[in-house]
Amino acid sequence: MKLKVPKTERKRPQDSRLRRILRRALIIALVVGLMGLAATHLLALITGYDVLAVPEEGVSAVMTPLQTGFSTVVDWVVDYLYTLKLRARIELEYNQLKTENEQLVYDAMLAEEMQHKLSVYENLYDEISVNESLNPLVATVIGRESGNYFSVFTINKGSNDGVEDYMAVTMDGAMVGYTYNVTPTKSTVRTIIDSEASIAALIQSSRDQGTVRGTLGVDGTPLCRMYYLPEDNLPRPGDVVVTSGVGDLNDGRSFPKGIPIGTVRESTRGMESNKQFVVVEPQADFQHIEYVIVLRYQPVAQAVEERASTDAGISFTPLDSPVPVPTVQIGSDFYQLAPTPTPSPTPGPTVTVGEDGQEELVTPAPVEPTPDPGESYEYQVPDAAATDMSYGFTLPPTATPSPTPPPLDLSVEED
Amino acid sequence: MLSKLLKVSALTLLAYLLQATTAEYLSLWDIAPGLALAVIAVVTVGLGRKYTFLMSLTIGYLLEIMLPMLDYLALILYPVCCMLGALAFSDKSERRLEEERAAGRRARQLDPHIRTPLCAALSAAVFEGVNLIYVYLSGVTLDSGHFGRSLVCVLYTAAIAGVIQFPIRAWLGVYKLAKAR
Repeated sequence: MKLKVPKTERKRPQDSRLRRILRRALIIALVVGLMGLAATHLLALITGYDVLAVPEEGVSAVMTPLQTGFSTVVDWVVDYLYTLKLRARIELEYNQLKTENEQLVYDAMLAEEMQHKLSVYENLYDEISVNESLNPLVATVIGRESGNYFSVFTINKGSNDGVEDYMAVTMDGAMVGYTYNVTPTKSTVRTIIDSEASIAALIQSSRDQGTVRGTLGVDGTPLCRMYYLPEDNLPRPGDVVVTSGVGDLNDGRSFPKGIPIGTVRESTRGMESNKQFVVVEPQADFQHIEYVIVLRYQPVAQAVEERASTDAGISFTPLDSPVPVPTVQIGSDFYQLAPTPTPSPTPGPTVTVGEDGQEELVTPAPVEPTPDPGESYEYQVPDAAATDMSYGFTLPPTATPSPTPPPLDLSVEED
Repeated sequence: MLSKLLKVSALTLLAYLLQATTAEYLSLWDIAPGLALAVIAVVTVGLGRKYTFLMSLTIGYLLEIMLPMLDYLALILYPVCCMLGALAFSDKSERRLEEERAAGRRARQLDPHIRTPLCAALSAAVFEGVNLIYVYLSGVTLDSGHFGRSLVCVLYTAAIAGVIQFPIRAWLGVYKLAKAR
């Protein structure tokens, strides 16, 4: 059996002297050759002889294709690595651009929305500027009833902002509806296409007045009908229907005059329960209501009625007159006459016996009736608030009430 | 012997080709490393001064005739730089070690894996120093940028030598030789 000797313990064959000489000779030859090439190159550079450049050109001829091939391989490897790097960078940039693109798309959408909002706000501003006297208020629609029979929506303004029931609501200058069910923070708006809505209107060209009501609950169409038009005048298609400003003072449903409601669709009159009507196409776009304007308009008559509730009194200064005028009391004793002082009877002539025993006819001197100091001839105007009297009108309060004149005493002379 | 000579020849050719074609792609802050100097440093520590001289002279000559930057520069500078590195960091001979022992000095050598990058750094430093002197003598005022670039080149070359020494030494059979000893 043959044991395997480890490589490290193997004996290297002893170099023979000839091999050592050959090795040394080869090394020396290489060194000499290289030194010779170098010297030739140096001499060629110094002297400029072309002959000395021959070995150099030979080496160059050998090395050039070799270097070209190696350079090609290196370039290919570098290009491949560059491609990999470029691909990674492209992927990275693609992801970045994708993210940036998504952000830009979002920004564009946001900008478009902002532009739309700006346009809406500009329209609202223009409308508010025009109707500044009507105390307009911009409100946002925050809820919408999407039924088939009623058309109401909720806005984010309420009594805290001065909104009250039955205030006109407009959009783009057209009548949308009116407020009702007002709470401190929100209000409900009933649109004019709701069949529950009823608005006094007139045709702008002919000034014929009527009442506009919605048809949504009647036949399901978002239109209006105008009732109670005079029969002798036929509206034409395209006639503009506006609010008439006429309203019921009891329910406060009185809107500013001249707000466009819509246009007459056709001159043909329809018939509903023996009532003739014309179809009115609303001007407002009820499908795209986002912002509305509440016209916090107060009718003049209503404002006066509010002032009647104040405690301001009225004063009345009677004219001086020689003729006694009975006292007129306005109030609970409405038009009741005060008691008239009864004149004392004039005494007739009496027969008296004188001191001399003769009878004498004596006529007494007339006596002036003295009025009762407790009775005064004055006009007493009761307080309207105290007596719950309603005169159908109310005088405006005076800034500084004039003092009530002192009681006027009238003396009645005997005729 | 012949195989070692062939390996060294192939390595010489490879070092030249790497220096001539690849070094520019390995630039760090636009500073190309001395790949040829790094390979020569590996050979210096692994095989000795004799092969160092052959290799550096060959590479210098090829660079001189194929990539003539300055006349005589590569042809002279490469052997000089590499032989300086070999003088400092190549393996000491047994006879020299014996002499040091006889003189009472500590006869020991640094680890070859440490000496290789040091050798490359020394060669590159001499090479860069000569280049800086040449530039300075040409009328260019040297500033920190020049020295910084030279320093980066030296460090980069040393780092590459430290990395490539393992495959080259393995291919040359230096590890087998050391184990046999």
